[in-house]
This record gives sequence, structure tokens and C-alpha cells, in this order.
Amino acid sequence: MSSQTKTSLTLAGLVVIFSALAAAFLLNLWGRPAPLYPIPLVDTNFLDTATVRRSYADLARAGEDLSDFDCYACHEKGKPPTLRYDTNQNLIIPKEHSDIVMQHGSHGRNNNCFNCHDENNLTLLQTRDGHEVTFANSQMLCGSCHGPTLRDWQAGAHGRTSGYWTNTFSSAFSNAPEASAHAGTNGYWERSTVPAGREICVNCHNPHSPKFPGRKPAPGPHPLRAVTRLALAEEGSH
Amino acid sequence: MPEQPSSGNHGPDTGNEGMNRRSFLRTSAVLASGLAALAASLAPLRELKDYTSAERFFQKYYKELTPEEMAKILNRIENEVEQQYGVRPHVRDLKPMDGVEFVYAHNLTRCIGCRKCVHACVAENNQSRNPEIQYIRVLRLPHGSLDLEKAEHFYAPSSVPEEGYFYMPVQCQQCKNPPCVKVCPVHATWQETDGITVIDYDWCIGCRYCEAACPYWARRFNFTQPSIPKDKINPDMAYLGNRPRRQGVMEKCHFCIQRTRVGRYPACVEVCPAGARKFGNILDPKSEVSYILRTKRVFIQLKEELGTSPRFFYYFDV
Repeated sequence: MSSQTKTSLTLAGLVVIFSALAAAFLLNLWGRPAPLYPIPLVDTNFLDTATVRRSYADLARAGEDLSDFDCYACHEKGKPPTLRYDTNQNLIIPKEHSDIVMQHGSHGRNNNCFNCHDENNLTLLQTRDGHEVTFANSQMLCGSCHGPTLRDWQAGAHGRTSGYWTNTFSSAFSNAPEASAHAGTNGYWERSTVPAGREICVNCHNPHSPKFPGRKPAPGPHPLRAVTRLALAEEGSH
Repeated sequence: MPEQPSSGNHGPDTGNEGMNRRSFLRTSAVLASGLAALAASLAPLRELKDYTSAERFFQKYYKELTPEEMAKILNRIENEVEQQYGVRPHVRDLKPMDGVEFVYAHNLTRCIGCRKCVHACVAENNQSRNPEIQYIRVLRLPHGSLDLEKAEHFYAPSSVPEEGYFYMPVQCQQCKNPPCVKVCPVHATWQETDGITVIDYDWCIGCRYCEAACPYWARRFNFTQPSIPKDKINPDMAYLGNRPRRQGVMEKCHFCIQRTRVGRYPACVEVCPAGARKFGNILDPKSEVSYILRTKRVFIQLKEELGTSPRFFYYFDV
């Protein structure tokens, strides 16, 4: 075998080896594995920081339609509306207020509108001992019955807090570029329209039906291969 | 390897009696295709620059960096992120504040298990979407026990909360006596003075000892290059916080260092619809968490008996 043939053979062999290697890398034979399961991105609704409801104060601040609170567009001033009850002493809700579901307190005992509303001035609320409370300050009305909750809320232990965890913000962060940092974010958490402070009761609780509403949970961790895990767990829990 | 083709090249040159136009062309063709295949087969080496750069390789330990060096590093990170994701981030090196020790309190009575905190955390902290990396795990437990053996991660009802269950999110507990820090062979993770246990992603060697040491399953490892859609990048970043990680490093909850060290609440607190999550400075007697720890039924630090002394407290109303 001449040296030239030998050379050609060696070269051809090398070409084959390297071509195979190149093909293997191209086909990603032992490279990074492609993701096994496409995991859908989470619905951005789950990233929303808004409260469950919007209070009168929120609406007033945002300059939105407050006609729902304009009681004397329909009611007559100086003439308390009469309440009607069925034979079981359940309040009959007039059709003008059909959006209201009365579920405040158990056993339907809290069935009198004027336990909280002021019958002599429908634009105000009243506590049971006769103090008048404005809609914008409604937490004091709630607290007149739910004292410990009001105490916790005032201390920050109950309810939602917005803004900053520190009250002494200015001294510690005079050089913190907060404004620029906020401007650059995608706006997930920014609540720039809502000033720092505590959310009041009616931002989360419907006063007529105060139980915190249920909601659809965000998707759990993707189970990947452990698809039978949930089924097994469900079986075990029964 | 490259010598072989070149020594092969010498063959026809030295024994050149038979050298003519045809053999020259044939040899050149073989040689050219061989070199092309060699280049293609070495192609994976091009990705090496994704793993390290000279600057990163010679970067000093975090605690030894001068402010000038840190400024350079932050600039390098901003460039890297911009190159990779097309977004110019704002990366900061935030230091702990004096007189601040962070504590987290979670109200088990109020938590409805909606998992909004999990996804808010993912979005805020630039976590990989596929494979999924999530710092918070929400456990569903049956009423009347705290047996973690009965906990369920994958619950998926149409509406939460469910009758007969309560929910307990678990994330990094920011222990006072952190086992993960003790086992780190390179001191890439340590506890800061405000109580946050941080990780220097550029110093981590990916040995995963900390993952094994953590009794709360709080640490996450990047087994692959994290994938984050470009439009989901949160450009407000911190060096020890939510800057994008690379393959082969550890990550975990850091109480949203990029937010909390400038006074803001962590993302999970801000997004919680039920107000179950409370966060603040335990050294401030007027803070929410001080009030909670003083007056509420704070019943556990998770796995208290291990002596890790978590800064994450679970409490009940009433």
C-alpha cells in the first residue's frame, strides 16, 4: 500500500469520524435534552395585586361613577324606607337592590338594613349605639362589633397592607433610586394609584356577605413525570 | 486532535513523486471536508462563553470586592442580561440596613391556598419557567393535624379554600442557624446582618450540599439553562437577589432582597389577596410582625425541634 493511499484512507477515516461527531452534535444526541414537557405560562391575572373589591373610598379617589351611592336619586329625604319581611322573618330585598345578598351573620339574624345604614340619612352609616359613620370611614362601623379584628387591623396583623414595610423610609433611602426602579418594571406589583396604607374592611369583604369569597387557585407545580402522584394522593386521602 | 489532519497533510508533500493535479485536488477536497467536520464537531465549545467569561472567572469573592470592582461587575451583568434578553436591567448591590432584622409571619387562618404568591414570586425573581423553579410550595393539609406526611402539593380544585383543609406555604425560612450555610464548601452562601441568607451565584460551584442540608426543601438547583421569556424579565435586579441565574447554580427565596432592602414589601406579601402574609422588621417594636409575635398565637416555627430557629413564623387568628 503506497503512502498516498494510506494517507487518503486515514483522511477518509478522519472525515467519517468527524462527520459523525458533527452529526451527533447537530442532532443533539448527548447534548442538552430538550424540555420534556411544554409548561404553559401562568395567566397574568394571578399576578394581579388588586384587592377583591373596590370600596367607596377607592372609587371616589379614582374619580369613578358613584351613582350607586347617590341614595336620594330614588329615595325621598326625611322619609325612612320601610323594610318588609316574609313569614320567616327573612328580609325581602327590593328589586332595586337585587344585587345584594344578605349573608352577614349566621342564622339570618342580621336582617335589618338599619343595623348599619342610617335610616334618617342614607348617605351615612350608624353604629348600634347611634354614632354616625361616613362611607369613607366604614371600618369604624365594622369595628364597633368586630373589636378584636379592628384592633388587629389597626396594628397591621389583619388585612392587607400596601406601600412600604418601613415607616422611616425617607432617612434610610434618600439615595435609593426608587422612582427609576419603578419606572423600569413591568408593572406587576406597582400600585402607584393607591397610596401606602392599609386596605379597609370593605376592600376585601362585601359588607352584606362578608365571608371571603373563594377563587380558582393558580396552577400547581408541573408534575412532570409524576403524573400519577395526584391520583395516588387522592386515593390515599379517602 | 488537530495534529492528525495536518500530519496527514504532510504525506503527499514529502512523498511528492506521485503529486499531480488530480491527487492534489482529491487530497484537498478530503482535507477541506475533514476540517469542516472537525470545526462542526467542536461547535459545542462555542457555547462555553455562556458558562463563563474571563471576567467572571477571575472575579473575587463578594465580601472582598471594592466598590469600584463591584460597579464593574454590575455593569458586566447588565451587559450580559441585555445581550441575552434584550432588556437593559437595573442591577444594584444592596447592602443590609442598620437596625433591621427581617421576620416573616404567615397567618394559617387566613391563607386560602390560591398560589398567587408562588407565581408572583416567579415573576418578580426571574425564575425559570421551564423547567419550573418555584421558591414557594403551598401545602394542603387536612384540618386537625400538622402531619406533613399528609401534605399535598398538587391540589387543583375549581375553587379554594376547600372544606376541611388548610394551606401552609413553605419557602426559605431564613434560619438564624442555617444548616445550608454550614455545609457550603466555598462560602458561596452566607447570612447577612438583616437575617437574609444569600447566595453569590458567581461563586457557587453547584455541589448541592446546601440543598441536601436544608430541612425545608427550600433550595432550587438550575439543572439546565433557565428559560425565561424575554418579555417576562423583571429588570429591577439585585446582585444577591433576582438577577438571572445560569446553569449549575443554586437559588432560593431571598425575601425579595431587591425590594425589601429599599423598603418595599416582598412580592408574595403584595400579591396575597387574603392578607395572610406579613413581613417586617422585628427590631422595630411598632412593626406588624412585632405585634403579631407579641400578641397572636404564634404556634410554630416549622420543624422547630431541629434547632434551625427560622425567621418564618406561622400563626393563627383568635
